[in-house]
Amino acid sequence: MKFRISQALLVLLVFLLPLFANAAAPAWQIVPNESSITFTGIQNDAPASGKFKKFSGTIHFDPDRLNESKVRIVIDMNSVSTSYSDFTSTLVTEDWFNVKLFPEAIFEATTLKKTGDSQYQAAGTLTIRDKTVPVTLSFESKKLSETKALVKGNTTLKRTMFGIGQGEWADTDAIKDDVQVNFNMTAARK
Amino acid sequence: MLIKNSADQYGIIAIFLHWLMAILIIGLLALGLYMVPLPISHAKLKLYGWHKEYGLLALGLVALRLIWRLLNITPRLTLPFLEKLAARTVHWAFYVFMFAMPISGWLITSAAGLPASFFGLFVLPNLVSPNEESRMLFEEIHQWLGYGLIVTILLHASAALKHHFVNKDDILRRML
Repeated sequence: MKFRISQALLVLLVFLLPLFANAAAPAWQIVPNESSITFTGIQNDAPASGKFKKFSGTIHFDPDRLNESKVRIVIDMNSVSTSYSDFTSTLVTEDWFNVKLFPEAIFEATTLKKTGDSQYQAAGTLTIRDKTVPVTLSFESKKLSETKALVKGNTTLKRTMFGIGQGEWADTDAIKDDVQVNFNMTAARK
Repeated sequence: MLIKNSADQYGIIAIFLHWLMAILIIGLLALGLYMVPLPISHAKLKLYGWHKEYGLLALGLVALRLIWRLLNITPRLTLPFLEKLAARTVHWAFYVFMFAMPISGWLITSAAGLPASFFGLFVLPNLVSPNEESRMLFEEIHQWLGYGLIVTILLHASAALKHHFVNKDDILRRML
């Protein structure tokens, strides 16, 4: 049997392919006007919601290569918005988000796992103000097209762990500690 | 003591509802006037929570009271025509205020996007979607209704006291 260099190269390439593929899961870009991050807290036993209008991030995600997937989302805390101006202007103060000193909140996750049919969990850290706390997000991913996907999920945070609500506001009687965060993002494959 | 009203006497239910709501409404007006100008604080938030809960309680009570009034005869007022007209007008104005105050308050909290809880039992649905301009309009309406209600209470109470101390009739006593 005649040895051919081209055949040998082909075999080598086949074996090397997974290595190249593992270099990084494909990058996705958040489509801002089709994405939202909202939060709901409980004040006087009733819900109060708001949203962040600006955020960005780098998402490397492949459902078949979760160990190579990673997420980093940066939220512009100045972009907080609610339906009531007094509520919004209170949230930006020193006692709450203190946006002057801490203009960004960052979520970073490198541990992703599948929990069900298109259901995933991302374990990582969330930094708000000067506190970094381990956070796990549950999300659902849906392919809209070959290059577009929808990621939808939520998590519940304890606001006092981040020092959100200083002084008298640390009391969780009028404003509960639990805050639910919902995100709904459309990402386009780069 | 009567449960229901008679042709010339108020029953115990009507008397009870009258005084319960009198205390509740005067308390809500005082709380409203006190809490609104306060700077934002934890205490202010708590006061707003109470104002909403007790305001909703007043709405429930006025509905019961109206039903009770319609199910009962209203004791006759043996007064000259104009005085009787004035008294009856004030009574019906109270019903307008008693409904309009909590409903306009509910509209404010709806338009602010901050729904109210009824003593932690359930959360009230929003009557309108959150909107800053309509909230300010409802606040204005709620405020002026409040002033109107205070004037009406003063008219009603001075008339009752005048009947008791000047005319020395039983008009005030029959509500006791």
